[in-house]
Amino acid sequence: MSEDSHPFERFLRDGMMPHIWCEGCGNGIILNCFVRALKDIEIDVNKVVVVSGIGCIGRLSGYTNTDSYHTTHGRAIAFATGAKLANPELKTVVISGDGDLFAIGGNHFIHAARRNVDIQVICANNFNYGMTGGQYGPTTPLKAWTTTTPYGNIEHPFNLVHLAAASGAVYVARWTTLHVRRLTESIKKVLQKEGFSFIEVITPCPEIYGRRNKMATGIEMMNWFKTAAEIRNASDPAEAEISPEKIVVGEFIDAEKPTYDHLLREMMKQVQERIRGEK
Amino acid sequence: MIVNKISVLIGGEAGAGITRSGFLFAKACLRGGLHVFGTNDYQSLIRGGHNFYIVRVDTEEIYSQADTIDLLLALNRETILLHKDKLVHGGGIVYDGEEIALNDEEMDRDDLKLYSVPLKRVVKELDGPLIMRNTVALGATVAILSYDLEILNAIVRDAFKPKVAELNLKAAKMGYDYAREHHAEESTYRLERTSLAGKRWIFLTGNEAVALGAIRAGCKFFAAYPMTPATPLLHFMAPLDREYNMIVLQAESEIAAINMTAGASFAGVRAMTATSGGGFCLMSEGLGMTAMTETPVVIMLAQRPGPSTGLPTYSGQGDLRFAIHASQGEFPRVVIAPGDVEECFYETMNAFNLAEKFQIPVLLITDKYLVESHGTAKLFDPNRIGIDRGLLLTADAYAGEEEYQRHKFTKNGVSPRATPGTRAAIVRTSADEHVESGYTTDDAELTTKMTDKRFKKLDALTKDLENYETTKLYGPRKADVTILGWGSTKGPIREAMKLLGKESPTINYLQIVYLNPFPVANVQKVLKSAKQTVVVENNKTSQLSSLIREYLLMTVDHEILKYNGRPFNPMELLQKIKEVL
Ligand SMILES: Cc1ncc(C[n+]2csc(CCOP(=O)(O)OP(=O)(O)O)c2C)c(N)n1
Ligand code: SF4
Ligand SMILES: [Mg+2]
Repeated sequence: MSEDSHPFERFLRDGMMPHIWCEGCGNGIILNCFVRALKDIEIDVNKVVVVSGIGCIGRLSGYTNTDSYHTTHGRAIAFATGAKLANPELKTVVISGDGDLFAIGGNHFIHAARRNVDIQVICANNFNYGMTGGQYGPTTPLKAWTTTTPYGNIEHPFNLVHLAAASGAVYVARWTTLHVRRLTESIKKVLQKEGFSFIEVITPCPEIYGRRNKMATGIEMMNWFKTAAEIRNASDPAEAEISPEKIVVGEFIDAEKPTYDHLLREMMKQVQERIRGEK
Repeated sequence: MIVNKISVLIGGEAGAGITRSGFLFAKACLRGGLHVFGTNDYQSLIRGGHNFYIVRVDTEEIYSQADTIDLLLALNRETILLHKDKLVHGGGIVYDGEEIALNDEEMDRDDLKLYSVPLKRVVKELDGPLIMRNTVALGATVAILSYDLEILNAIVRDAFKPKVAELNLKAAKMGYDYAREHHAEESTYRLERTSLAGKRWIFLTGNEAVALGAIRAGCKFFAAYPMTPATPLLHFMAPLDREYNMIVLQAESEIAAINMTAGASFAGVRAMTATSGGGFCLMSEGLGMTAMTETPVVIMLAQRPGPSTGLPTYSGQGDLRFAIHASQGEFPRVVIAPGDVEECFYETMNAFNLAEKFQIPVLLITDKYLVESHGTAKLFDPNRIGIDRGLLLTADAYAGEEEYQRHKFTKNGVSPRATPGTRAAIVRTSADEHVESGYTTDDAELTTKMTDKRFKKLDALTKDLENYETTKLYGPRKADVTILGWGSTKGPIREAMKLLGKESPTINYLQIVYLNPFPVANVQKVLKSAKQTVVVENNKTSQLSSLIREYLLMTVDHEILKYNGRPFNPMELLQKIKEVL
C-alpha cells in the first residue's frame, strides 16, 4: 500500500467514489464504521458477503470490496438466509434501510430473528424512505412531516430494538451516526458473534427528512442526536424511546442461543449417524 | 370372468384414511405384478366432506383412471349415493350393511352386487380405532376378488409399525374370512398374481418423482411455503434433508422461499422451491431477480384451478401463460411440463442442468392431477441424465488474469460463475441493471448490451434444446387427427388412443414437453402434415392454441377444454374427439 493511499483502500472500491449520497447524509459514516470494523478485526474479507435491499443505504453493498448481492426491495434477509445456510463459512451481513427491513421486508426480519439464523443485520434508520422521495415509513415518529404525511404522521412507529429483542435476536444495539466509536465496536462484536444480531443506526437524512422537520442540514440533525442521546447499556429495549428530547441508545442484548445453522448441522449429523448404524 | 382388469373406488369422509387405503390396495396389486394407476379426489377440509381414491388395475400399462367403476368400497352412505351411477352394469359395492341401510328407492338399480361386511363390528371386536374399518374392507375386497391375502399382508407389514401392523393384519384377515364365507363365487372380477410379480416397478406420485429427481440432481437446498398441491413435495423432502445433506426449510412465505433459494444458489449449491399459483404470484418478483442476477433456480409450479385461491385441492392448467410471462421485464426462462411420473423425475434433472448451464430460472409446470396421482413406472435410471453445472467455478481461488466479473460479456452470453468465498474474485451482482462487474448502472448503452447478453443465452439455450425431447409424438406418424397437449392430459389422451384401438379415425398425439422456449421446429413439422388438429387442455382459453398461433401463425381446428377442476376421463375424451370432428 502506498503512502498516500486511504487506510481502508483494501475494503473500499475507490473506483466507485464519489458515492451517490447527499451532503450531510449519514450513510457514509455507516460505511466508514463498517469497513473500519472489517479492518480492525482482520477478518478474512473473502468470506464476507454484504447483502442489501433497495434504498439509499442499499447502495452501500456496491462500495465495499467484498462479495455482494443487491437484492430486490425488502428481501435481503431472506436471501442472506439461503446464502448463509448453503455455505456456513460465509459471514453474511445485511445492511439496509428502515423501510426495506421493516415495512416491505418486516416478515423476513422477525422470522430470521426467531430462527436465530446466523446473519448480522445493520439497519440505517433515517425515519423515512429516502430513495423514493421522503415518504413516511414504519419508523417515522408520530407527528413528523414527510411527503405523504403533509399534516403530520398519525401512525405509531416501531421501536426497532424492542421488536428485534422480542423476535429473538441474540444481539441488539442502537447507536446514532454520532457514536462512531461505539458503533464500530458493535459491528466488530457482531462480526465475531454467532446468531441473529441487530444494530440500529439512527442516521441523518437532512435532504429529504430533515428539511421537512426543521433540521435542514446534517449538522442540525447530528445536533439533535447529540443533545438527545442517552447511553443506557443493558436497559430494557421496551423503554428505549426515540423522541425530540430523548434518544435512548446502547447495547441492549448480548446473549447466547444455539443458532438455526448449528441445530441444523447437529441434527444432520445425528440422523446420518443413526442411518449408518442401521445399515 | 374378468381377470386383472378392474377399477376400484374407495370413498368416505375426510380424515377416514381413504387415500392411504387406496394406496395400500394399489401397492398390493403392484406387488402381484400388475400395472396400477391411483388418483385421489378430496376437498379442502380436514374432517368431514367427501374423499375418494380410484385405483385402476390392468395387465397392460395404464396412464389414467377409467370412466367407470367396477367395485365400490364405501365407508359411508354418501359414497354409495354419489358414485353408484358410475358403477358398470353388474358392478359391486363393499359396505357395512349393519351400519348402512340401503333402500331400493334411492338405489334405483338392481344389477349391482352388494357385499355387506360388518366393518365396524370387526373393529370393535379387535378393540381397534374406527379408521381400521378400511383394512377390514381391504381384506374383504381381496377375498371377493379371489386375490392373495399374503400380498396384502406384506404391504400392511411394510406400511405400519409392528404393533399397529399386527392389529391391521388381524382386521384384514377377519374381513377376508367373512367375505370368503358370505360372498364366495359372487364376483365376476378376479385378481391374479402375474409372472411380473416382484419385478421392480415403482409406484409413486409426481411430487415424489420430482423430489427424487431433485435429490439425484444434487439439489442441496429446498425452501417452500406449504401450498396444495405442492405441499407433499415439502413433506417428502423434509425427512430426507438430513440424510442427503440437503437443507429443507419451511420459509415464512413464498417471497421468502424464492429469495432463500436464490441466496443458496448464489452461494453455490443447487437450489429449488415449489408452490402453486398463489405462491407463484408472490414469487414473481424473485423470479425476475434470479433472471437479472443470472442466478440459477428451479421452481415447480403445481397448478390448481381458478384465479385467487380457486379450488385448492383440484386440478387445472390455467397458469401456462402466467408461467411463461410472470415478472416484469424481459428475460429468458425455461418452462417444462412433465406429463407423467417418469418425466417428473427426468425433467427435474434436466431442469437443474439447464438452470445452471444458462444461469436462468427454470420452471417445472405441473398440476394437482399429475403431482398427487400415483403412477407405475419402471425403476428410474439414475444415470440417464448426468449432472452439468455449466460454467460454475469450483476452484478455491479465481485464476483468471483479468479481474473477475460476474456478468462478463461472452460469446454466448453465459459468464463464468464464481461463488462468494472464492479467493481473488469479488463476486458482485445486483437486482438493478448492472455492469459486467455487477455494479448498478443506468447507462443507456450498457442497458442495451446487458439485455442483449441475457438474450444471447436464449439463442444458446434454443440450440442446446435440440438435444432434448422437447416434444414427443405418440401413435402413427400420419393420422386423420392430431391431438396436441401438454402436461397431465397425457394420461387420459393416451388412454383414449388405447380405447380407440384400430378403429378410425386414426389419431396421433403430439405432447409438448417444453413450452418455453417454444419448440417451433418440432411442432411445425408435425402440424404441416396433420390433417385435423385438436388441442386438449384443462383451461378455459386454450392457452396452448394461442401459443401455436403466436409461434406458427397457425390456427388449430378444434379445442377440447375442460376446466371444472377434474381431469379428463378417457372415454369422455374420445367421445369429445369424435364429436368435434
Ligand atoms: C417492490 C418495490 N416496491 C417499491 C419500490 C420502490 N422503493 C425503492 S427504495 C424504497 C424505500 C426505501 O426506504 P428505506 O429502506 O428506508 O431506505 P432509504 O432510502 O431510506 O435508505 C421504495 C419504496 C421498489 N424498489 N420495489
Ligand atoms: S435522501 Fe437522505 S438517506 Fe438518501 S442519500 Fe440523501 S440524505 Fe442520504
Ligand atoms: Mg429509510
